[in-house]
Amino acid sequence: MAPLKSLEQEYPILDSNFQSFCASHDIFSVEDLLLHDLYVLAAFAEQESSSERLKQGIAQVLSIIDGQHQPWLNGIELLEDAQRNKHVLSTGCEGIDLLLHGGLRVGQLTELVGPSSSGKTQVCLLAASNVAKKHIGSVVYLDTGNSFSPQRVTQFICQHSDPAIDQAKHRTLQKVMNNISCKSVFDIFTMFDVLHQLEFNLRSQMQGGDCKVQLLIVDSVSSMVTPILGGSGSQGHALMISAGYLLKKLAHEHNIAVLVTNHTVGGDGGISKPALGESWKSIPHVRLLLSCDHGGSICNVSILKHPSMAVGKAARFMIHN
Amino acid sequence: MRVASHSHRLDGSAGGCGTVNGAQTAWDLLHEEAMFPRITTSCEDLDNILGGGINCKEVTEIGGVPGIGKTQLGIQLAINVQIPVDYGGLGGKAIYIDTEGSFMVERALQIAEACIEDMSECGGLLRKDFQAFQLKMHPNNILENIFYFRVCSYTEQIALINYLDKFISEHKDVKIVIVDSVTFHFRQDFDDLALRTRLLSGMALKLMKLAKDFSLVVVLLNQVTTKYIDGSFQLTLALGDSWSHSCTNRVILYWNGNERYAYIDKSPSLRSASAPYSVTSKGIRNSASNCKRIKSGVVHLVISRVGHG
Repeated sequence: MAPLKSLEQEYPILDSNFQSFCASHDIFSVEDLLLHDLYVLAAFAEQESSSERLKQGIAQVLSIIDGQHQPWLNGIELLEDAQRNKHVLSTGCEGIDLLLHGGLRVGQLTELVGPSSSGKTQVCLLAASNVAKKHIGSVVYLDTGNSFSPQRVTQFICQHSDPAIDQAKHRTLQKVMNNISCKSVFDIFTMFDVLHQLEFNLRSQMQGGDCKVQLLIVDSVSSMVTPILGGSGSQGHALMISAGYLLKKLAHEHNIAVLVTNHTVGGDGGISKPALGESWKSIPHVRLLLSCDHGGSICNVSILKHPSMAVGKAARFMIHN
Repeated sequence: MRVASHSHRLDGSAGGCGTVNGAQTAWDLLHEEAMFPRITTSCEDLDNILGGGINCKEVTEIGGVPGIGKTQLGIQLAINVQIPVDYGGLGGKAIYIDTEGSFMVERALQIAEACIEDMSECGGLLRKDFQAFQLKMHPNNILENIFYFRVCSYTEQIALINYLDKFISEHKDVKIVIVDSVTFHFRQDFDDLALRTRLLSGMALKLMKLAKDFSLVVVLLNQVTTKYIDGSFQLTLALGDSWSHSCTNRVILYWNGNERYAYIDKSPSLRSASAPYSVTSKGIRNSASNCKRIKSGVVHLVISRVGHG
């Protein structure tokens, strides 16, 4: 915790007089101040000569601390925030949109779980193309398996349009594709770096217009966590949970929909279950299970977890070629 | 807190609207893809389903039963990467990591000679400078450009993959890394399966990073195992479910009657399809029964690449 004297530069009221007063009560850092009984401290301050300044100093430290956490919200404010900011982004896939009553909800972390080749990356690419095209927002795609295929994205964007290529089409395609930024990350520490950078950029920039980030895709979060999960220490577990919380924080504070993919592993009795274990289960808001008929183009999606819908609800969808 | 935010500011201004530093837009990636040609497999049908060949910057897993031709395909790719740029190839060197001892130098020499023969044939077709070409490409040169590593345990394998970063920075013309087979040292006598999963997924990420950073082709050859799925025993690739997510593309080689077939099992941009191929004395070629006239892979490659400019 920060020692009180480091705050002096920015808040001149916490001068050496204040610091020596605090030191006389064994308070050297912000943590000590929080642990101390503040009424008792104020009473002692009364007895000092510069009591007003000392009490202002105490109030200043408390307001600095208050600024570190999210403001308290009541139900009405939450509802207003949900109605105004937390809209729904269509994924471009009718089956999934119908199942989710519209699509991916902004402010929520949605997870796609499925065995290999079940269509997870395809859904991610489709959602990225659709959001870039229809919602006039930008997409950040973090790719761990070199699976981001710009050709496939082009196919999805040009799907429902007239196949004739002309100048205007070309420029629209360029504009839409410029809204999707892709970065390859190969370990969890790089991902933390990237997410912190993104958070910083979002906080310090003026939001609005075309450039607002609407969708963040991480394909896949399990490849980054599996090398560190388990073993003798619990650092892997802690990193996984922090990553989950950071993604949810980004989603809520900056009104982004977050989509991640996870793979399956064999469970008891040969039934496959999602990877990453029990603790990860509670992190995503929405969990969807994908499976694809071998070689076919019809895929099944069912709900494993949802804040407002029943588990087990399923739908079928097709990804066009 | 102040120091942390200061370092973020030092990282440079965000390129574009709220995007991540170091990210590329999809538009740039689309045009970048066109700059990296694919490596032909010398089998026209196989190249067709692969969209031209094995792609750069991706990890491709090729698996199949013993005897189907995995090592043959590996050796063929190690030689095809060296096809000069004039002839539509990459003109690069190859790294061949052998875990089972299945690399046969005599076979590589045989395939190299056949490849040069095919190239001279189309060199004649396109009236290229025959003499200069003959001086440059000699089977010994081709063998010289294959860096061969033999690993005998899983620790050696992991150490080598870690070392490849440095090796490839020093040998910038390496364009393909083949691991034959990636499974071998992880199958037997591995007591701690959780450790195995961690090691394999860590290794997969490192290979992905190598492929991306150095724009390489990475080919991993895998073995098969039987698994009890849906009430019957089926053949699947070895190393389990977690490993199946560690590659960008997956091709499965299988027998269909008497013919060898390849099937695209997983790909972000290619359709699922099968194609027949055969293993001949010259290497991997089109299946004899399938084509009306036997056209060698290199001739097809040159005509399609050079023709389109």
